[in-house]
Amino acid sequence: MKKLIPLLISSILLILLGIAVGPVRISLSEILASFSLENIKIAFSSPNMLEENAYIILQIRLPRIILAYLVGLSLASAGTASQALFKNPLADPYIIGISGGAAVGASIAALYFPQYMGLFALLGALLAVITVYRIAKVNGHIPVDTLLLAGIALGFFTSALTSYLLYVGRERIHNAIFWLMGTFNGADWGDVKLVLLSSILGVGVLLFSWRELNLLLLGEESIAMGLDINLYRKIVIGIISLLTSFAVATSGIIGFVGLISPHAMRIVFGPNHKKLLPASALFGGTLMVFADILARILLKPAEVPVGIITALFGAPFFIYLLMKKKRGELFG
Amino acid sequence: MDKLEVNVSFSYGERQILRDVAFSVRKGELLAVVGPNGAGKSTLLKCLVGILRPVGYVKLNGLELLSLKPKERAKYISYVPQSSFPEFAFTVEEFVELGTYATEGDVEGALRKVGTWERKNDLVTKLSGGEYQLVLIARALAQGSNVMLLDEPTSHLDINHALQIMNLLKDLKDEKILVSVMHDLNLALNYADRIIVLDNGQIQWSGKPSHLTPDILEEVYGVKAKIVDIEGLRIVVAVE
Repeated sequence: MKKLIPLLISSILLILLGIAVGPVRISLSEILASFSLENIKIAFSSPNMLEENAYIILQIRLPRIILAYLVGLSLASAGTASQALFKNPLADPYIIGISGGAAVGASIAALYFPQYMGLFALLGALLAVITVYRIAKVNGHIPVDTLLLAGIALGFFTSALTSYLLYVGRERIHNAIFWLMGTFNGADWGDVKLVLLSSILGVGVLLFSWRELNLLLLGEESIAMGLDINLYRKIVIGIISLLTSFAVATSGIIGFVGLISPHAMRIVFGPNHKKLLPASALFGGTLMVFADILARILLKPAEVPVGIITALFGAPFFIYLLMKKKRGELFG
Repeated sequence: MDKLEVNVSFSYGERQILRDVAFSVRKGELLAVVGPNGAGKSTLLKCLVGILRPVGYVKLNGLELLSLKPKERAKYISYVPQSSFPEFAFTVEEFVELGTYATEGDVEGALRKVGTWERKNDLVTKLSGGEYQLVLIARALAQGSNVMLLDEPTSHLDINHALQIMNLLKDLKDEKILVSVMHDLNLALNYADRIIVLDNGQIQWSGKPSHLTPDILEEVYGVKAKIVDIEGLRIVVAVE
């Protein structure tokens, strides 16, 4: 577990950097001053009374960075769990279409039931993961090619549906295009609360289920070792959907973090989920904060949707993994 | 004295794979299941361990194992699958620990028994075929169950490693009921205490290895064979 310490430290450093970066230049001493007990009290009671810099730090940047961290942590954990569930190192909530399903749910909610974004995203995600699972399963196994094809097909379909819904509702849904491409712009403490809840529950269950996740890698064989495989597959599907849907509902579609994080961490920690899962979660959070910082400074003062940044890094990485898979070197 | 009693049938949809396969084994015995490809040997083991859901019963000392929850059943019966290349780079120790999910198993004891304790920190992906097979057996041993099922534990192994595995099974049969699917008839003839010949999902013959005749082999495998005795070893030789 000592190996997790560098990850924790880099998490904290990047969060601090994320708070310091932004269109308005705020000095380090002013940043520190914003965190005074008095300011925090005001932020809880009547945030509009905060001074300008303290407002920017406590009400704009801090929730944004924390949301980015939690979304990264959620997606990386969901990615790690989907790779165990599908016994397939190319699985990721985005690639296998779960994010797309969540986006359809969230769009429907945005149009008709704005207060139930999370719930609708969850239903969409569940529907998507069950569909992909059913389509991709061949004789009890889930081969890479059918998994990717099922995910791509569902991805096309859900993206068309989402685009249609956002087009129809373009007057009612503010910033729809930005949300579609993934962004933490406009994040508030309400979003943070929502994702904090889902990630505590989801990541918590996964952390306690490291033995079961390890056994899922063995497929049906694990029944002989005592795993109630059908029960745990359902639990894991539920958790992946929960983590992905709340991330999508608050921040849009952000791909590849769930793919990259477990891979990078598997190189260091190996496939044992006891270490792999916490490492991926921390790495995913850090990576997302880093991507968000890039999103804010690349075209300053304009912002790039963070989903574009993760895709620019993630897609070539995905191609690299596919080539490695071709040579039979994956999951090592 | 532990006793396993089995009577199972199994179908995939319309196709019946196993038909009233019934036998019993006691501790101290190594039961070999032989038969041509597609006879249903692997399916039989998967039914016994609960990976597949057969009709019938699998009773250990009268206790029906099929109706138990997987975690409870794993305390009584373990399974060594047919070896394929390991996909995940667990260390040897982590890999054997997977077997202790349902029980407070002894990982070190299991690894020492198969002679691979010194390699506990190596990755399973770096092991040779023979070493990996030993580690697979250790994983089932760590489960600490009364019954151990093995699916072709010596396939793909050279003769030295194959004999190492068979001698290990010989040691283990004092502690456990052993049922092993065996590809190599000669190993079955010389190491098993009893043989079941399975064909088309049915038991065609069962008995002591010394009673197995060339006629039975011809009937099941469709080849003319001789069984020759060389200094107490019985060897099957195909003659045409």
